[in-house]
Amino acid sequence: MMDDLSLLCALQARDPAALAHLFDTYADRLYRLALGLLGNEADADDIVQGAFLKVITRLDAFEGRSNLGTWLYRVAYNASLDLLRSRREISLPEEDGSEEGDASAIMPSVLVEWSSPDALLADAEARRNLDEAIHSLPESLRSVFLLRDVEQLSTLEVAEVLSISESLVKVRLHRARLTLRERLAVYFAERIPKEG
Amino acid sequence: MNCEELISYLSDYIDQNLDEELRLDAQEHLATCQNCRIVLDSTQKTILMYRQAGLQRIPGGRRSALFARLLAVFEQRKGDEPSKS
Repeated sequence: MMDDLSLLCALQARDPAALAHLFDTYADRLYRLALGLLGNEADADDIVQGAFLKVITRLDAFEGRSNLGTWLYRVAYNASLDLLRSRREISLPEEDGSEEGDASAIMPSVLVEWSSPDALLADAEARRNLDEAIHSLPESLRSVFLLRDVEQLSTLEVAEVLSISESLVKVRLHRARLTLRERLAVYFAERIPKEG
Repeated sequence: MNCEELISYLSDYIDQNLDEELRLDAQEHLATCQNCRIVLDSTQKTILMYRQAGLQRIPGGRRSALFARLLAVFEQRKGDEPSKS
């Protein structure tokens, strides 16, 4: 396991093993983020390639204020956002802090017990429903959920990738989780017989 | 703690970010409120399902082709760049 500084030095010395290590560590993660944001494999491939190319060509500009992984995520996220904006699938940023006081706005309404995640994931229709539910979230909530809960970055790392405050990450994560839970609850309540 | 407060703290409870007093208040509420237990359980399952479903990798052929393209650029720049200190 190579630490960030050793990896950066090896990359700057153009060691192919260092590139392989960086690629093996982050390529699939960036792919999942881009696929989750864009919903299209070809676009996700382009985002991953673009992110690595940017890092490869700008290694000397890396200031080390964040780690290499956060840098890669940020490049991939910003490129995905540009693509969404170019398709007019999202509006301009809404980060004016007005969301921060709104954490308790969601109250769950569908209150039925669920089966185990494995059972819920067992069929293709359920998985399609998961995809539809996450793509119905606004981008601002989807990106936080993907980075924090799927990729398991820390709150601080998510804040750095998205260039927002940690408190806004927490507010958005809370909203994303409850919104997804509510959407899936409607679906699973209709489909899955209660266990026990 | 009432249901509305529990829900407002739910994410922090899941992430173990509550201080001791709030955590105990939340646990006390959960012990007596089945609806909030259901919300907690189904929210945790929501997270777990996306985590499990989200373990895709770049399909093999595309992955190796992508790495080959990046390696070509990476090695080309080794030739282009005089060493900087």
